[in-house]
Parts: sequence; structure tokens; C-alpha cells
Amino acid sequence: MSVIYVGVGEFAISNRPGEVVKTLGLGSCVAVIAQTPDARLVGLLHVALPESGINRRLAEERPGMFADTGIPQLLQEMRKRGWNSGPLQIKLAGGATIMDPNNTFNIGKRNLLAIRKVLWAFRLGAIAEDVGESISRTVWVNVGSGQVIVSSPGRGEWEL
Amino acid sequence: MGTVAGEERAERLVEAITRRVQDVPLLPSVVSRLLEVVGREDHSINDVVRLIENDLSLTTRVLKVANCAAFGRGQTITSLSRATLHLGEKMVIGIAIGSCSPQLFQRPLEGYGSAAGELWDHSLRTALATREVVRYAHHEVSSDLAFTAGLLHDVGKALISEFLEGQTGALVQSCREGHSGDFLAAEQMLLGTDHAEIGYALARRWSLPDPLCAALRDHHRPDLALDFRELVFGVHLGDLAAMLGGSGTGADTLAYKVETGYEEYLRLDKDDLDRILLIVQDEFRRTKASIFSELEAGR
Ligand SMILES: [Fe+2]
Ligand SMILES: [Fe+2]
Repeated sequence: MSVIYVGVGEFAISNRPGEVVKTLGLGSCVAVIAQTPDARLVGLLHVALPESGINRRLAEERPGMFADTGIPQLLQEMRKRGWNSGPLQIKLAGGATIMDPNNTFNIGKRNLLAIRKVLWAFRLGAIAEDVGESISRTVWVNVGSGQVIVSSPGRGEWEL
Repeated sequence: MGTVAGEERAERLVEAITRRVQDVPLLPSVVSRLLEVVGREDHSINDVVRLIENDLSLTTRVLKVANCAAFGRGQTITSLSRATLHLGEKMVIGIAIGSCSPQLFQRPLEGYGSAAGELWDHSLRTALATREVVRYAHHEVSSDLAFTAGLLHDVGKALISEFLEGQTGALVQSCREGHSGDFLAAEQMLLGTDHAEIGYALARRWSLPDPLCAALRDHHRPDLALDFRELVFGVHLGDLAAMLGGSGTGADTLAYKVETGYEEYLRLDKDDLDRILLIVQDEFRRTKASIFSELEAGR
């Protein structure tokens, strides 16, 4: 079984049944998983920050870092790989939150808000989410079955 | 716990863990002198160079990293002082600490459910983040001291991990249900001590400078630090930024209280945090590749 690892600010798309697309150790980062209803085409994007305005140069180099540049790029590449703009199933995992009344460190929450907003602009919404809480997550998706699994150290793993 | 038997058990555990601290080898003298120099505010990079040049193996490592792909500039650097200037003091400290104590930083932390190498990644990312965070402190904090404190802050985990083995799920559960407040308190409940206290004991054994001792002891309770609060709050937030950024040590990742009193010592807003996370992500990739491959090769 081959596994494609997706790093921070990167994305991967696969249409090979049996292949696994995986990303490790999500803290405040969010994995955006998009798949066709038959799960034959799967994309996974690892978003780190909400807005590209903070570093345009980096956004050109690595659009996947930011919600507002990463999601359009993911969708564009999925189109190139055969997605015909039909329905897409979106799942989100990550975006851990912590209690900070000053709001500075609530980056996970800001990521999620930004992602939902961008998805909405494409008339997409998540059908399932495993987000928030103060935990670290690893997430992977099986191409073909479309099964999405989330794991966290000390908590085991579960299906999303 | 709370029973007499429980207290006795905790006492025996603390004793056993403390013995482990005494078994850790002392730092090579070049490293402890390096840390001493870094702890002084008036030191210069020349002091660092002078120390390293007396140690052949460290000199070789520094030159190798300076010339490796991620840091090299296409031109071979053969002098130690140029290599040190090129890499910066913090990298040199990272190389020194990383190469003298792989048995502490590179081992898996089974009690935390954490794989080999994760403690080093977490330490390195915390070091980079702490250095960025202290730029926002109200009073100046040396960036090299901040980096070093971040690098060492969780070394206590390497010593208590084995005493947590088999209890990882229970620790997580106890945090989750709010019995213990946070992971540090959960360690305290189970062992009668925690990784911050044990890190501090090791810092004392190594005779580390006072600010570093304070950072190790109080990094989860910076409000309790008697001194060096800018630095200790810096490590507290640097640690948090490292975990948010994706480098934790397993089950305890993000399972700590955030001490919100930081605004008294550091001022940063959400845009500052976003910038910090980006810089740290970028530096982490470069630094990890170079120091790490060098450490692997050196073994
Ligand atoms: Fe810690
Ligand atoms: Fe830490």
C-alpha cells in the first residue's frame, strides 16, 4: 500500500484506488479533504494560516499555506485531474483551539473560519468535521473507499 | 491517591526518577562553558568562537553544517569564525547540545506516545519560536538565550517518560475529564513530580545559568517564576507556538494551560503570531535538515 505524505502548506491528489493520502501532527493547521462521491478522486490540503495577505511572495511560492490561496489551487488541480465540477464531499480535520482570552493564539479557530468562508464562495461546505479541542491530530484518507481516519496520541483512532 | 500507600508509592517514584537525573552524564565542558557564556548578557560571538576552537569535534561539526546544502553559499567556508558568523550563535548552540546529548533528545518517549526524534523536533521548533516571541518582550531578552532555553525546556520528559509507560491513555483521560487541570498536573498526580521539576533538577546538576534553570522549571507556570519572567513567558508561548505549528511530543501536545498574563511581559497580536508561525515553519525546515543530517552522520 503506498502512502503519500502531505507536508505543511502542501497538497496531494490521487486517483489510484488503495493509495493513502496522509498528513501528520496537525495542531492549529487544518486538513481539507475533498473527494468525488465515488471516492475515486481524492485531494488533501494542509492549510497553516487563514490569509495570504501576510506574505504574498510566499503565497505565490506555496499557495497551500493559506486558506484563501490553497483551496482555489486544490480545486483547480482537481479539475485538471478530472473533477467535472460536480458535487464534492469535503471533510475537515485539525484546527486545534486553546483558551486565550486575548484571542492571539486562537489561530485554529481563525483557520477554520477562513476555510469555511472560502469553501462557501465555491458553494461547498463540509459534510463532516473533526476540529477544535486542544489535541494534535494525524489524518489519512483511503482512495477508492473514501474512508477518512483521524488519530491522536493517547486517544486511538476513529473514522470521520 | 491521597492514601498512605499512595504517598509512599509516589515517594519511591520520585526517588527513582531523581536517581535517573544523577545518572545523566555531565555536559562536556565545552558545552557547559558555551551555555555559561550565552547566559551572560555582555558576551560576544568571539567568546563563542574561542570556546569552540578548543574542541576539535565540535569545530568539525560546525564547519560541516556551515557548508551543507541548506546553509552553504556555494563557497567553501574553512574558518570557524566565519562559519559561526554565517550560521549564527544559536545554530552553533543547537549543534553543540544536539550532538552531545542524542541519548536524551533522540530517544522515543514511550510514556508520551511519542516517536524517536519528536522531542528534538519539538525542542528545535520551540527554540526558534521562543527566539521570535521574545522580540515582542517589553524588556530586551537575548535571542540566543531564548533559543537555548527553548531547546532545553522539555529535557525532563526524556527522564520521566518511562515512568509514564502504560499510563498514557489514563493521563489523557484525566486531562480530558478535567480531573487534573492539565498534563503537568496529571504527571504530578501520577508520579509526585513532573517533567518541569525534573528538567530543573537536571539543569541544576548541569550547573546551567539561572535564567535557563528558571525557564526549565517554570515554562508551564510562568506566572510563578520569581525572576526572568520575560524569558520564561517567552518559552511558555514559544512552546505553545511549536505545538500549534505541528511539533509536539505525543499525548501531551496542547494539553497545557495557557497563562494569559503574558500581556504584562510581551505584546503580540494575531498578525504577529501568524508571522511568527511562518518564520518558524521556514527556519525549522532548513535547520532541521542541516543539524539533523549532521547529527546522524556524526554517530
Ligand atoms: Fe513542557
Ligand atoms: Fe514543550
